[in-house]
Amino acid sequence: MTTLTRVAAPTDSGRGAWAAGHRAERARVVLICSVLAALALALFMVSMMLGSYFLNLWQVVTGALGVSTEPSAVFVVRELRLPRALAAILVGFALGVSGTLFQRLLGNPLASPDILGVSSGAGAAAVAGIVFFGLAGLSLAAVAVVGATATAAAMMLIAARGGLSGYRFILVGIGLAAMLGSAGSWILSRAEVADAREATTWLIGSVGMAEPAELTVLAIGIAALLPCVSLLTRRLRALELGDDSARSLGASPMRDRIIVMSAASVLVALATAASGPIAFVALMAGPIAAAAIGRGQSVIASGLVGVLIVQVADIAAQHALPVPLSTGVVTGFIGAPYIVWLIVGGNRKETAG
Amino acid sequence: MTRDHTLEIDHLSLGYGERTVVDDVSTIIPPGRITAIIGANASGKSTLLRGVARLLQPRMGAVLLDGSPITDLSPNAAARVIGLLPQSPSAPDGITVGDLVGRGRYPHQGWFRRWSADDERAVDRALAATGTSDLVGRRLAELSGGQRQRAWIAMALAQETDVLLLDEPTTFLDLNHQVEVLDLLVDLNHEHGTTIVMVLHELNLACRYADHLIAMQRGRVAVEGRPADVVDAAMIEEVFELPCEVVVDPRSGTPLVVPLGRHRVSS
Repeated sequence: MTTLTRVAAPTDSGRGAWAAGHRAERARVVLICSVLAALALALFMVSMMLGSYFLNLWQVVTGALGVSTEPSAVFVVRELRLPRALAAILVGFALGVSGTLFQRLLGNPLASPDILGVSSGAGAAAVAGIVFFGLAGLSLAAVAVVGATATAAAMMLIAARGGLSGYRFILVGIGLAAMLGSAGSWILSRAEVADAREATTWLIGSVGMAEPAELTVLAIGIAALLPCVSLLTRRLRALELGDDSARSLGASPMRDRIIVMSAASVLVALATAASGPIAFVALMAGPIAAAAIGRGQSVIASGLVGVLIVQVADIAAQHALPVPLSTGVVTGFIGAPYIVWLIVGGNRKETAG
Repeated sequence: MTRDHTLEIDHLSLGYGERTVVDDVSTIIPPGRITAIIGANASGKSTLLRGVARLLQPRMGAVLLDGSPITDLSPNAAARVIGLLPQSPSAPDGITVGDLVGRGRYPHQGWFRRWSADDERAVDRALAATGTSDLVGRRLAELSGGQRQRAWIAMALAQETDVLLLDEPTTFLDLNHQVEVLDLLVDLNHEHGTTIVMVLHELNLACRYADHLIAMQRGRVAVEGRPADVVDAAMIEEVFELPCEVVVDPRSGTPLVVPLGRHRVSS
């Protein structure tokens, strides 16, 4: 988050109510993002301390930096725990940002990539890659990206015919998700047992299986996106007012939708490629971040909430239960009741306008 | 800021799909004045406004801003001259008034240049002009209909355009809020010389508040001119297919339409 330095207006020194409120709001967003980032850092450390044998904070830090006197600590931290802890951060951030971009673009809390079939697109493509071509690592990531972006493009093409309402996107997206889910199951049913097992594990999703190469690509994707967040937010702020207002404000709704949706699709695809489709993180992060901020929204805060969800889910998956589980099992367990709550209680849309 | 933009509609035809809704309309919008577009349902009045607002591509003809087609301008350049308040604008859940009004600055902000002192001044002026300064921290959804409409007008004002288009700005408002909104538009027009073009359903308010009326009928301009000059019983009967009597508004001196239905009126 950048704090803007403003040049004081030469003529009127008395700033109005809006400027003061705007600045206070920005300050609150920065504060909340800092708190979320601090929590994420703490969980990052905790996740590297816990394991089949406990390391204290000092052992983790010296181990990660490779300056520890205990070679076993260096090995455990750097080879076993650090990749998984980093994966939780990168995957969670990408899913959180992607989810909130989709939700804001389509103006509906249900419109996250996991509900809309974009994650299913990545999943079906990846399963096909595993079963038919025995892909792994970067080539698997590439196939997942193609699957996700193709699904998003199909959704745009089908839904954009005859208007650009959010509901059309969501209905088309849910349809695509069902179709791609079936396609994935069909491929699995035709697969050899070993392939099917591997593909099934992948489909549940776990930050534990992220490979360094996939994580690097994901990190590059996030790094490339971060400077564009303010650009994407600017477009979203116009799009959120509806197509008529957006166009009269000088925006080009169709083009802007494609830009925001492409960025969000690539992010979710890279995250999915690294860890499999970890359910419901993209769905939950944005609304939780909005609740934390209270008024206003922040794409960065949503990403940080995504990080926290994945971290907590992965720590629970690994350590809270007698048998270690995949991250996706835990997020699915949290996410399903959340969806019920969203549909039954929380989706009473206020009519603003 | 220049106040003397000209806005001309030149043989404009607009439509949706197969249907032509506005058919070969030509007129000049008087600069610095308040124009009301009236007409029966489906007469093409909202469509005409949408055409002027660049929301519809012309089938034929053009909307000329300072002599050149608005479709030739960059979207940003057009948005710095012509603003629009749509009929039923939508906003995200939980948005505050301050956030909404700030979004009106979109065409003045670049990719990376955001929130200049100019932006802050424009937003504050828009809030002050609409009496919404005290509402900046309030959520739009929790406001009354009249307050909400004033917040939306503030957003359009923050855009600082010389031409402001409004599509039925008083629909769904109680009578007191209708008058409040129209008074506000007159204030803007007087203080800043803003050219205002609005679609209005309420005929008597249109006659009182507009300097210039455009009466649409079946996609064409039936009559246009100063309300006192053009509104009479014959014209209303022709355009709205309603027998009526037109008297003089005792307080404003403008035409007052008294509709004559089949019941409750003496012959």
